[in-house]
Amino acid sequence: MTDMVGFDRDFSLGELLSTRDADELCRTLTALLGTPVAMLDERCNAFGSAAHVVGGCRTPLVLELEPVGFLEADCPQDSLSGAARTVRWGLLSRARLRMVSDLHLEAVRADYAKLQQQNEALKASEAKYRELAATLDAKVKEQIKIIDERQLQLYQAERLASIGQLAAGVAHEINNPLGFISSNLSAAERYLQSLEDLRSVVPSTDWQARDLDFLFKDFVELLKDSRVGIDRIARIVKDLKGFSSVDQPEEQVVDLNAQLETLLTVLVGQKPPSITLSTDFAPLPPLLCLPGHLNQAFLNILQNALLAVGDGGIVTVHTRTDGTSISVEVTDTGPGIPDEIRARIFDPFFTTRGVGSGTGLGLTVARDIILAHSGTVTVICPPHGGTRVTVNLPV
Amino acid sequence: MPEFERETNRLTFKLVYYGPAQGGKTTNLMQLHELAGAQMKGELMTLETQHDRTLFFDLLPLGFRTASGLTIRLRLFTVPGQVAHDGTRKAVLSRADGVVFVADSQRTQATNNGESFQNLSENVARVGLDFERLPLVVQFNKRDLRDILSVEDIHERYAGAPWPLLFASAIDGRGVRETFTELLHGVWRRYADDLGLVTEHGLDEASFVTAAGGEAT
Repeated sequence: MTDMVGFDRDFSLGELLSTRDADELCRTLTALLGTPVAMLDERCNAFGSAAHVVGGCRTPLVLELEPVGFLEADCPQDSLSGAARTVRWGLLSRARLRMVSDLHLEAVRADYAKLQQQNEALKASEAKYRELAATLDAKVKEQIKIIDERQLQLYQAERLASIGQLAAGVAHEINNPLGFISSNLSAAERYLQSLEDLRSVVPSTDWQARDLDFLFKDFVELLKDSRVGIDRIARIVKDLKGFSSVDQPEEQVVDLNAQLETLLTVLVGQKPPSITLSTDFAPLPPLLCLPGHLNQAFLNILQNALLAVGDGGIVTVHTRTDGTSISVEVTDTGPGIPDEIRARIFDPFFTTRGVGSGTGLGLTVARDIILAHSGTVTVICPPHGGTRVTVNLPV
Repeated sequence: MPEFERETNRLTFKLVYYGPAQGGKTTNLMQLHELAGAQMKGELMTLETQHDRTLFFDLLPLGFRTASGLTIRLRLFTVPGQVAHDGTRKAVLSRADGVVFVADSQRTQATNNGESFQNLSENVARVGLDFERLPLVVQFNKRDLRDILSVEDIHERYAGAPWPLLFASAIDGRGVRETFTELLHGVWRRYADDLGLVTEHGLDEASFVTAAGGEAT
């Protein structure tokens, strides 16, 4: 565009007229006026082959303000002016044509450049949409999967919430009678001791006739059994309370390694000596959590692991971090979990232990606590045996 | 920047009449051809029209010679106002040294005026001119018609604008020369120093304006 000569430039005689045209014009005018006619350019040099007319008069050919050339002939000025007007008319037409065609060219080039720009923009947006169309299907499927997962989670959460409410209610209702049964049992134990004093008062014949020795012995046994039963009920109620998270403590920033360390010290005292409990801790970033709850969760997982391994079994706790999340791995050398059971291990009240020894809430509680910390828990049983429970918690 | 040809000692200003379609740009030039008292005045060249509407441009050449022998030419162009001819409009606007924006005073044309003015500012940038420094005069034409914006309204709307506002009725020649005069003043102020018109050619603003066909009022 910059190299282009504008449509609005001044045209010289040579641009408007070829010398051949000029010669023909001069010949025609010479015949018409009956005297030689010459054409000169704007500097009064002969234009074309017609030579200067010595002694002739000149008349300018003006298109705008100044002459682009002259006609020269030895004839009356009037006749020459008339001839000049005719020639000018022709020159003007040519000038107009040149201007219009140059302007048209300029405009077309400008429009073309603009169209090309628009075309480029369109191409870019078309490519974008093409790409979008190609990936749309995959993206929709991906979104559907996410929505399905969320829905499942929501359903799970609601189910757990209603079970939790029920559990909290039951726990509360049981706790009261449990309290007075427990204290009544203590009183009964004391009374029994007092009653034993009757031995010195009651004649031994009567004592033996009524087999009171056995009675007192069995009575103590009965009370002891009842105490064990009460304690078991109390533990179940406690688990139910944990499951329903009735008492929410404060969130704290803790070092999870230290928490696990404390937890393991407690467990070391409870586990059979033949089982090895080992740790492999990596330094962890501080974690904002409910420490009591997390302890409970890891306790439940670890208890399961300890119960799973037999004599000489090993339970290992690994901690790792990638900066954005913390992972805690509990592996055991036990028999692993059968496939048909693995899907149900987190279900409330599902247990493989005999009636009375497990509540079926341990892993449920653990999972709920971890979910409440926006974490995940996965259970894998590798082909070579054992079980690996991995807990991931975002930092 | 005006074109100076050393060889012929000639200085040419290109002045462009811009504005919405059928606002009276061609009429301005036709009247100016009658009214302008320039030393040299060419014929008004009207290129092709369609139903009386400019398709390419009109050209009115005016000029004068200074005592120093310099020829000063002013070539006045109109652009086609119709929206469709933007490419042509832009080409005509290229290399302009000054612009008269001819607005239509009729109330119904306010939007067209606005769009055309917007188009002017965009095209000025596109052809590489500086809108801030380009001499520009705004003429509200068609004051002879009914249902036009009042002078007060127009002054109010343009209160923040730096350009001179003029009112005209080009059809009967009113305000046409005044508008041109105002543009000549603007052109003088913008280029006189750069071109050494005072120092090298002994011109002054008043004689420049008068000789170029403006009217000192």
